[in-house]
Amino acid sequence: MHPLKHYWVAEALERDLGDPLNPDSMMSFKQVVDLDEKEEFPHDIVNWLYNWNLHHHYIPAECGGEFTNFEEFVAFVRVLSRRDLTAGIAFTTMFWSFLVWMAGTDEQKRRLASFMKDQHGAMCLSYSEKAHGSDLLGGDVTATQVPGGYLLNGEKWPINRATISGVTFVLARTDDAGGARSLSLFMVEKSKLDEKTYTHLPKILTHGIRGSDMSGIRFEDAFVAEDARLGAEGAGLELALKGFQITRALCAAFSQGAADTALRTTLKFAMKRKLYGKTVFDMPQPRRVLTDAFLDVLIGDCATIGAARGFSVAPEQFSVWSAVVKYFVTVKLEAMVTDVSAVLGARFYMREEFEFGIFQKTLRDVAIISMFDGSTVVNLHALLLQMRQLAKYRARNKERNPEVLNARLETSFGLDKPLPPFDGRKLELVSRGADDVLQGLPLALTQLASLKADKSLTPEVLHQVTTFTEMIQAELDSLDAHVTASSFEYGHDQSPESFEMAKQYCTLHTAAACVHMWLYNRHHLGDFFAKGEWLALSLRRLMLTFRREKDLPPRLDDAAIAQELIRLYSEDRMFSIVPFQLAPAQPETASEPSQTLQLQAK
Amino acid sequence: MTQATATTEIFAIEAIQTWMVNQIATQLSIPAANIKVSEPLTRYGLDSIDSVTIVGDLEDWLGEDLPSTLLWDYPTIAKAASYLVEEIGVSPAAEAA
Ligand SMILES: Cc1cc2nc3c(=O)[nH]c(=O)nc-3n(C[C@H](O)[C@H](O)[C@H](O)COP(=O)(O)OP(=O)(O)OC[C@H]3O[C@@H](n4cnc5c(N)ncnc54)[C@H](O)[C@@H]3O)c2cc1C
Repeated sequence: MHPLKHYWVAEALERDLGDPLNPDSMMSFKQVVDLDEKEEFPHDIVNWLYNWNLHHHYIPAECGGEFTNFEEFVAFVRVLSRRDLTAGIAFTTMFWSFLVWMAGTDEQKRRLASFMKDQHGAMCLSYSEKAHGSDLLGGDVTATQVPGGYLLNGEKWPINRATISGVTFVLARTDDAGGARSLSLFMVEKSKLDEKTYTHLPKILTHGIRGSDMSGIRFEDAFVAEDARLGAEGAGLELALKGFQITRALCAAFSQGAADTALRTTLKFAMKRKLYGKTVFDMPQPRRVLTDAFLDVLIGDCATIGAARGFSVAPEQFSVWSAVVKYFVTVKLEAMVTDVSAVLGARFYMREEFEFGIFQKTLRDVAIISMFDGSTVVNLHALLLQMRQLAKYRARNKERNPEVLNARLETSFGLDKPLPPFDGRKLELVSRGADDVLQGLPLALTQLASLKADKSLTPEVLHQVTTFTEMIQAELDSLDAHVTASSFEYGHDQSPESFEMAKQYCTLHTAAACVHMWLYNRHHLGDFFAKGEWLALSLRRLMLTFRREKDLPPRLDDAAIAQELIRLYSEDRMFSIVPFQLAPAQPETASEPSQTLQLQAK
Repeated sequence: MTQATATTEIFAIEAIQTWMVNQIATQLSIPAANIKVSEPLTRYGLDSIDSVTIVGDLEDWLGEDLPSTLLWDYPTIAKAASYLVEEIGVSPAAEAA
């Protein structure tokens, strides 16, 4: 078993699902590609997952479930997503239940937990409207007060699982005067509605996740009782924005699962495919693409896992952390999948050839993650509105309370440290300028300075990591100065330049997360992790956003990275800073000799 | 309430109103005279998240933690200033000086 117990559920799920290349496995590539071709909802898979009791891990212990923390959650969502984003997302719409765990009454929590556990029920999120998209306050769906409850009217579209779900969370206008308090949030249990008062809208055909139940729902004088409302009347926008802080960060787990399959499939191809008397992997250029892709996965890991744990430590900062992760990790991994498609060559475009055509499906599916649940611009916008505060806070709090900050960072990033329970009521609309990850840079530099005497480290690696960390700090200082000096617009009139500044902020936050991840885990995540070459190379990759190649320290030899990539591949482990055990791959057939061993022997 | 406390409160409310008017006028590059304390802030093109960030600036100025949804619940400058002084007991005298 894995020494870190947050990975036990993921490992057990892997073991029981089995090798995705074996067509007989549940969620095999063959099964999910077939379903995708037929655009069919993955009912069998979803039922299997319920029977496995995975849904218990979406329900907190105090509500009768087994949810522990988001690090565990991210790990098992990766397991689902590496096989099939359609089913992974369809099952994980259950993460909307956190709206109730966060804001519901005891009775609402009890009802929802029972619906999930006893009826194997699922839910969907009805926020979007055809005419208003991201503009939640502009919505036309109304909830009009009547004796004992409300009448819902209007249409929500496009909604994932709008039809195949028993509960839908509906954001509706309760105050015609408009404004931030004009919306309320309702937990609508379809079983309690008069059937004549609502209709499902037809399936929407999509580019990827084709088997999804993408549809919508229309209400016509649909009566919901008073006790369907979550929180106070007028609390809808506030709850919606806080709920997004949870789900947006978790979306990164979808991308990471998909990225694993894209890289694993392409790597396998590159190791088998022989041209000009050698394998594709033996050619320096394709090998570089694959090792860089592996670095992208590790970079994403540091941000995603750090945030998953940070939920339990610094929930009041998640308006910032979550926007960073949702933007940065999903966009970078989407780009990474496109990068490796160049190595897969012609097969990247084929829907059957090579591993059942899973790459082509993954490529199509992964493109939605950066868009739904708050698109890239929406996340950057949420972040850029806070950048003045963030810069001000940093200027004021330099070097203040380093012990407290260090303890918080150690709990967020030290994977062997116990986590306090997550409390959704501590989420805040804005972080009041606080962002531990970037504020912790001076601390990280002090720790790096103290490592000079550490014999286990190569001086060049430590030197590069230190140099890059100083560079992150310098770029942050210059960004802060720029933000402070630039004119600030309210509303939706922000300049394109400010969106670029928000992107830079995300890159710097992620780079700092990589440094913290290394510093707090050097002694228990294995040799490859401890040596830190991956970190120096990753930071270099991130700093290329800011500096010219020739102004950076030279690129370290990446042989160790390629070797680790092959090791994880041949031992069937997740490409990750926590390379937990995947289901063992079936032995290769005789006609396709494995070159794994030859490569390892080199 | 004594005459003296009532006067102090009026000064406090005025100080907060003046600060908010100036702050918003500067940020939006419009003359302070165009901003009416009795108008909802949304009238000046400020949306819900903007008003949360204004609360951040207000916190900095007053040196106090405030509810981030202050301007959602008290959507005009006049209402927000009265709430701060009368319900929370904020006194900006020192800062405003
Ligand atoms: C597969 C899929 C699943 C979905 N699932 C759900 C679901 O379960 N529940 C749900 O409620 N919705 C869901 N959606 C809807 C999705 O969240 C919406 O598409 C989203 O709200 C954006 O709406 P829109 O595409 O109409 O874009 P609009 O909001 O109309 O935006 C159009 C363009 O305007 C620009 N823009 C918008 N906002 C800003 C800003 N703040 N700053 C700068 N530029 C901006 C951007 O360029 C944007 O692309 C889903 C969508 C898809 C495709």
